[in-house]
Amino acid sequence: MTETRSQILQGTLDLMVLKTLEQMGPLHGYGIGRRLEQVGQGALIVNQGTIYLCLVRLVQKKWVSAEWGKSENNRKAKFYAVTKAGQAQLQAETENWQRISGVVGRVLQPETGS
Amino acid sequence: MRALVHTILARIAGFLHLGKQDREFHLELEAHLAMAEEEKVRQGMTPEQARRSARLDLGGLTQLQEAGREARGLPWLDTFWLDIKLGIRKLRQSWGLTLVGGLAMTIAIAIGVVVFMVFELAYGGSLPLDEGDRIVAIQTWNERAQRLHDTALQDLERWRTTVQSLQDIGAFHTIERNLVIGNGPFSSVSRSRLAEPVSLAQMTASGFRLARTSPLLGRTLSATDEIPGAAPVVVLGYDVWQSRFSADPKVLGQIIHFGGAPHTVVGVMPEGFAFPVNHRFWIPLRTDRGTLAGPQELAVFARLAPGATLESAEAELAALGLLPSPTVTPELMEQLRPILKPYALALTGDTDRWLVRLILVLVTLLLIPPCANIAILVYARIVMRQEEFAARYALGASRGRIVGQLFVEMLVLAGGAASLALLVVGLALRWAERNLVSDLSAGAPFWMDFTLSLRAVLFAAGLAVVAAAIAGLVPAIKATGRQMQTGLHALGNRTGMRLGATWTALVVAQVALSLAALPAAVEIGWGTVRKGVLGPGFPSEEYLTAKLAMDGNLLEATEGTRSVAASSEPASTALANTALANREHPPSLSTADRFAGRQIELVRRLNAEPGVLGVTVGVLPGDEPWERIEVGPAPPVQQSRQDAQLLRRSLVQKNQVDLAFFNVFEIPLLTGRHFEASDFETAISEVGDLDAESTSAIVNQTFVKQLLGSGNPLGRRFRYLPSDRRQESTAQQALTWYEIVGVVIDRPGNATHGTVYHPAEAGQMSAPSLSLRIGTDPIAMTSRLREIVTTLDPNLRIKDILTLDEIYRQKAAGNNIGAFSLGAVTLSVLLLSAAGIYALMSFTINQRRREIGIRSALGAQPHRLLGSIFKRAVGQIAVGTTIGILVALVLNYLLPAEKVGGWSVPGVIPAATAVMILVGLVAAVGPARRGLRIDPNEELRNS
Repeated sequence: MTETRSQILQGTLDLMVLKTLEQMGPLHGYGIGRRLEQVGQGALIVNQGTIYLCLVRLVQKKWVSAEWGKSENNRKAKFYAVTKAGQAQLQAETENWQRISGVVGRVLQPETGS
Repeated sequence: MRALVHTILARIAGFLHLGKQDREFHLELEAHLAMAEEEKVRQGMTPEQARRSARLDLGGLTQLQEAGREARGLPWLDTFWLDIKLGIRKLRQSWGLTLVGGLAMTIAIAIGVVVFMVFELAYGGSLPLDEGDRIVAIQTWNERAQRLHDTALQDLERWRTTVQSLQDIGAFHTIERNLVIGNGPFSSVSRSRLAEPVSLAQMTASGFRLARTSPLLGRTLSATDEIPGAAPVVVLGYDVWQSRFSADPKVLGQIIHFGGAPHTVVGVMPEGFAFPVNHRFWIPLRTDRGTLAGPQELAVFARLAPGATLESAEAELAALGLLPSPTVTPELMEQLRPILKPYALALTGDTDRWLVRLILVLVTLLLIPPCANIAILVYARIVMRQEEFAARYALGASRGRIVGQLFVEMLVLAGGAASLALLVVGLALRWAERNLVSDLSAGAPFWMDFTLSLRAVLFAAGLAVVAAAIAGLVPAIKATGRQMQTGLHALGNRTGMRLGATWTALVVAQVALSLAALPAAVEIGWGTVRKGVLGPGFPSEEYLTAKLAMDGNLLEATEGTRSVAASSEPASTALANTALANREHPPSLSTADRFAGRQIELVRRLNAEPGVLGVTVGVLPGDEPWERIEVGPAPPVQQSRQDAQLLRRSLVQKNQVDLAFFNVFEIPLLTGRHFEASDFETAISEVGDLDAESTSAIVNQTFVKQLLGSGNPLGRRFRYLPSDRRQESTAQQALTWYEIVGVVIDRPGNATHGTVYHPAEAGQMSAPSLSLRIGTDPIAMTSRLREIVTTLDPNLRIKDILTLDEIYRQKAAGNNIGAFSLGAVTLSVLLLSAAGIYALMSFTINQRRREIGIRSALGAQPHRLLGSIFKRAVGQIAVGTTIGILVALVLNYLLPAEKVGGWSVPGVIPAATAVMILVGLVAAVGPARRGLRIDPNEELRNS
């Protein structure tokens, strides 16, 4: 049986969380996890716990800010939003990712094409 | 980079608020689970299923919280803290190692901190004045001789008018004078007006501008005060104003006398002001040539002008050069150049920076012997704790983690030792400031801070880390290296590791060193404290002593330079230098005559006082200068051929005494005769020179024992050698031979070395001291003595009035500290070797438990069993002891105790051997008892 669901590449979770927050605006951890699952369309294994550890890191770097608020079900939840520094970082990392994935893609092309 | 900084700051904040953040993280995860459950229930799961699924999706809650804590706080600090707690527990368990190792480390670190503080005090940076780091001293340096040369007045004058990169250039020198407060004739002074010797700064007015300190009352000195003929004025220090004038605001305008010279008080300086060194009285320094002719020990100060640096200012001075002086030969002139130094550095002496660093490195190296010793003990303990480490290793602890924990354990010990060392040094510094520095006539310079500096604390911390690295890291790395090889195999297998040949050699060396050092330490220690313990051997509390000096009149131009205290020298050497200055620049004949006359009159008046049993003038006991002498051959009748060639040389103490000396101190004659009146008279009449001495001399019995041997000492001759060895051959012909006319018994203070007494009349001694034998209360006599001196001559200065008993006590206090330090070092060496023996025995027992068990199960007698097991260890101790005895004997032969300030103690080597064997036995008792308690059944079961 072939494994159809992929592990998240090391270091890319930060990028994906930043992008999600940029697109969706302030979100709580559960919301981020749901969103990533939606976008991954079931092809991505997202350990929801690691999202919270990733958020701790991003808050420490001041790329993301956190604030307590009320969820749609009127529950107390912590909402995260991208800061200006986070946006700059996201842009830089996106460019970097595209460059690398392009290179990796070109390297892999001949094999997959044959 | 910014993100990294933010992360570090956030982690520190997280560490500080770990509890709050833990709670928030928990709440957040709870909210997550609730939201997930709700959604899953909406999707059709039962609440139970939903809860399970939500938890599965999130991952383990506890692990997640643990990971969150690690991500938020400072995990290594947590580990560190855990290691510290563990270290404290382990150190408490092995309290023997803690005590012995801690003591040894404390001593080594304390020695290091003391050396560091000495440098800190001597070279400690800037003055506590406004922009104090820009205050400098200008000195004249002799390039060839590599020493300072007197600065010429003419150069000072030129610098003051021409140098651009320096401002407020000025100079000072310190003089001592009798202070008498108030007006009126000196012949009828009241007790409140007794003369008291004080130090004055003769300083240019620019000194106050340079210090940027305003007076509390009145004014400071001004340029007009320096003009010849100006009314003499004085500025007072705060403490003087408080103590002598009861803080009277109307002090301005009052008259005080220095010697016989009246001065008007014009100002009072604020509390703490003591520029230039530690002064409380300031009078103007007149720099015109008429006033200050002749050699001057001037200290020149200045402030760097805005924009100028030490280098640029020195370059300007160098370009200017020095003016040719009529008193300096052109050849010498070529070797002289002006130099500029930070003020404090220039005044407290100067040593190359690299030398200071080298000494600090050497001090750090002092840590190696005790720490290496502790390292051995730690290694033995690690070997014994190997099961614990093997288990931890098996459970996944890395080697680094185990090494780290052992390092932290030693760091706890070293940290404790460093704290204790700092406490001890801090107290010692306070004691030194109170007792040693206040004894000096001048006191410590105002910028010296006798509290432990932050740098000293950091230095101690650094030493603690080095100590922990040697004592903990090295054995841990070595032991865990083997651990890796033996791995789990070591678990439960006590024979997995061995103490190798290095260990054996070290224990043998340790025992040998302790035994070799013990007799020497006992003899030197006893030699040091002996005088204090046994007392002087005569009723020293009945003797009142005081130093005498004669000042020229402050207002007499040509006499202004006399008895100048060496103000450019460190305060600690000021006293010694005063004597030196007196020798090099003898007072002019008229003052010397007056001084001699006053001494004779003073002795006459004191002898007439009721309660005075005797008066003598001489060098204060214990202050006698050391001189090198050469003893002439014995007369032909007695000598063997070998002796005739032998001229013995030695250091002796030279005393100058008057006719009454031996009587007053009750020193009995052993052979020959005492000095007679003719000895004093011939000296003066025959030679016709006041400074010439009689050729008669009396020596003590140790002189005879050490230098003359068994023959008749009377009539033997000796001569003084020049202090500079290079002049020895050229000057030999001109040296005077002195003849021994009598031998007296040793006084307790000179029982270890030769002492020579020469007859000296009043006025012939360079630094005379008065000794009174009194039957009455010394305190009452003190003020009476002051009164007599003040009425006799206001320029006759009497200071340091103390009973001989007090002088001996002060000296004993210093000696006791030395002996105490020596005792502490010896004790720690002894304890370390005891700990080494203990560890060796314990280890042997531990390693051979099974063998002991089996053999005792087979019926071996426990005591014989122990004997065979300890055979090797006892053998090692025996070898160490034998080597130690041999080294002690050789040491004693090469360096007898008397030569190094000790006192030979009969039977000290056998006694030390006995102590060492006792220490070894005591150290072996514990392990031996443990060995006897081994249960054969249990050991057989375990094997």
